Amino acid sequence: MSFAEKYKPKSLKEIKGQELAAAKLKEFVESFPNKRKACILYGPSGCGKTASVYAFANEKDAEIMELNASDFRDRKIISEVVGGASNQKSLFKKTKIILIDEVDGISGFYDKGGLLELVRIIDLSCFPIVMTANHIWDKKFSDLRRLGELIEFKELNSNVVFSLLKEITRKENLNFNDDLLKNIAIKSRGDVRAALNDLQTIDSSTKDLSERDKEENIFNVLKQVLKNRPAENMLELYEKLDMSLDEVYLWLEENLPREYKGEELARAIDLLSRADVFRGRIIRQQHWRFLIYQNFFLSYGVSASKKQAKTGFTSYKRPDRVLKIWMINQKNLVKKEIAKKFARYCHISFRRAMQEFDFMKNVLKNLDIQQKLGLEEKEKEYLKNI
Amino acid sequence: MTSEIWTEKYRPTNFEGFVGQEEIVKRIKNLVSSLNIPHLLFAGPAGTGKSTLALIVVKQLFQDSWRENYLELNASDERGIDVVRQKVKDFARTKSLGTVPFKVIFLDEADALTREAQQALRRTMENYTTTCRFLLSCNYSSKIIDPIQSRCAVFRFKLLEKKDINKVIKRIAETEKLEVDEKAASTIYEASEGDCRRVINLMQSTASISPRITKELVETIVSSAKPSDIKVVLDYALAGDYVNAKEKLLDIMLKESLSGQDMLKAIQKEVWGLDIDPELKVRLTEKVGEVEFRMVEGSDEFVQLQALLASFMLAGQGKL
Repeated sequence: MSFAEKYKPKSLKEIKGQELAAAKLKEFVESFPNKRKACILYGPSGCGKTASVYAFANEKDAEIMELNASDFRDRKIISEVVGGASNQKSLFKKTKIILIDEVDGISGFYDKGGLLELVRIIDLSCFPIVMTANHIWDKKFSDLRRLGELIEFKELNSNVVFSLLKEITRKENLNFNDDLLKNIAIKSRGDVRAALNDLQTIDSSTKDLSERDKEENIFNVLKQVLKNRPAENMLELYEKLDMSLDEVYLWLEENLPREYKGEELARAIDLLSRADVFRGRIIRQQHWRFLIYQNFFLSYGVSASKKQAKTGFTSYKRPDRVLKIWMINQKNLVKKEIAKKFARYCHISFRRAMQEFDFMKNVLKNLDIQQKLGLEEKEKEYLKNI
Repeated sequence: MTSEIWTEKYRPTNFEGFVGQEEIVKRIKNLVSSLNIPHLLFAGPAGTGKSTLALIVVKQLFQDSWRENYLELNASDERGIDVVRQKVKDFARTKSLGTVPFKVIFLDEADALTREAQQALRRTMENYTTTCRFLLSCNYSSKIIDPIQSRCAVFRFKLLEKKDINKVIKRIAETEKLEVDEKAASTIYEASEGDCRRVINLMQSTASISPRITKELVETIVSSAKPSDIKVVLDYALAGDYVNAKEKLLDIMLKESLSGQDMLKAIQKEVWGLDIDPELKVRLTEKVGEVEFRMVEGSDEFVQLQALLASFMLAGQGKL
């Protein structure tokens, strides 16, 4: 069984990192039909939207009737299913919740009138309707937005994902070190499902994780690129690694200074930075040929940066920059929160507030002003320490 | 002394209290007294009074009910033009209260919107023109598309002059019982670069240390706003010690929770102050500019910063 299945939250309390949204969901269902008939849970993938609905239903002993985007939701089906379901009271359980997952997956062709019908059904429904979506601000959903209470699920913080992973590795008796879990948490970018799947794939290959297998390969590759003069086979080296090119950057960044010095070091790092520019552009311009240049610079290019081959043994190190940058971002988060409150108070933009921040350090330490801005404990702590 | 943020405490609430922009204030006063204002576009540098004047206009128009008839939005804070338009729609739906037949929407940093977003904004402005007046604010009017500019009365705000800034300093010094000598006032003016908000923030920051504001005190505050030890990073790099330069860079970013762009700004300022060959200074600045360009385009901050350190290393060896 997948970890995502096995560790599904069974009550709203178990949903981590979405306390406000969970409370709003609870309020919505319990106050039905006094306020609104439908609500829309929106937010990035894997942050707990569908899980919350199931968790809540489990806790309240309610039945869920689920419709997915992949279901053929045309007029007939909806009026039969949703219309029918809404009007039947369940025989065995107390309440019913109609769940329409990924409502923004409705495509124009297959669901001619499906969206319109849904809008009408919401009006007639006897049971609360909960929808989930990733993007809700598209023009075509403006009608839905009116009929449903919008409940935002925010992107989960890596800390939250990390503590979840830690809990599960404990329950599963797995021996993974914290650094590895933190890396998985960071890479998942708030997507718990993805993080759990990553965790599980590592698990099914070795019980006791050692990154040694992966590392041996990268160490060998590094040795070839950094010590040898350029060779034709270098272009395939990174492909054979079980590692994304993004990780290769980190390894090169960390170890180039250990092997190269002076001009050759500058040249190699310059190539690294050029490859990085291509990396950024692939996403923006969807021009995947740029991968070729990236790969070339990172392998052949780096190798050619030196005039002569290198001999002897050099000890390469695992990169820890990701963690350090993550720590910087964590600290930044608090600073940003303070700046946001300051911005709102002074009628300026967040960007401007960040610019004024350093000039206002002393003033922000004042307790009365912290009160006026409504700062939280950790924000006050942060100001104390700068 | 400091239980209020001074930029808010000393924000003028009427035309008479407004410092600077005399021509603009005159014209605006006339418009307001005729109770019929067109859409307005306030263009100019930061801290010159655009938001303040907007608030004064609104208070003069609506008197006590100004809060119900005024919506303040910031284009760079909102998540896209659709969110802006939704908020405008919801606000414009209800009629204005009182004798003035329209409500006012203030959209700050309108030049942060893309051309497409501005086109969408123009349509919204047209749709609600009978019930709402738009007051747009921006740093560069050239970034506002022509169709919007032609629908607005454009007012160009200028940087505050020394006499204006001195007025502001005096007003605050009197009320807060501070001693500000002439040299200190000059230093404040230079550090502010004509930005009134910066002036007031500087004053409040220095006053929180001592009510006797001297040139030295102001300089201390200004330099403490810059991250420490950037020079050390550059010294290492120029001396060819890449590894230590990189360590120190990351260290500073961590300690002061700076972003890559913050670091870059600080480095750029340091470079300008370096005692080196002018041609070398130019080449270093070129490199800094290129890195900033790449960062803005979306490259990895740290990779690019390291490349910058590496080129500094070359520069130090005369090989750039």
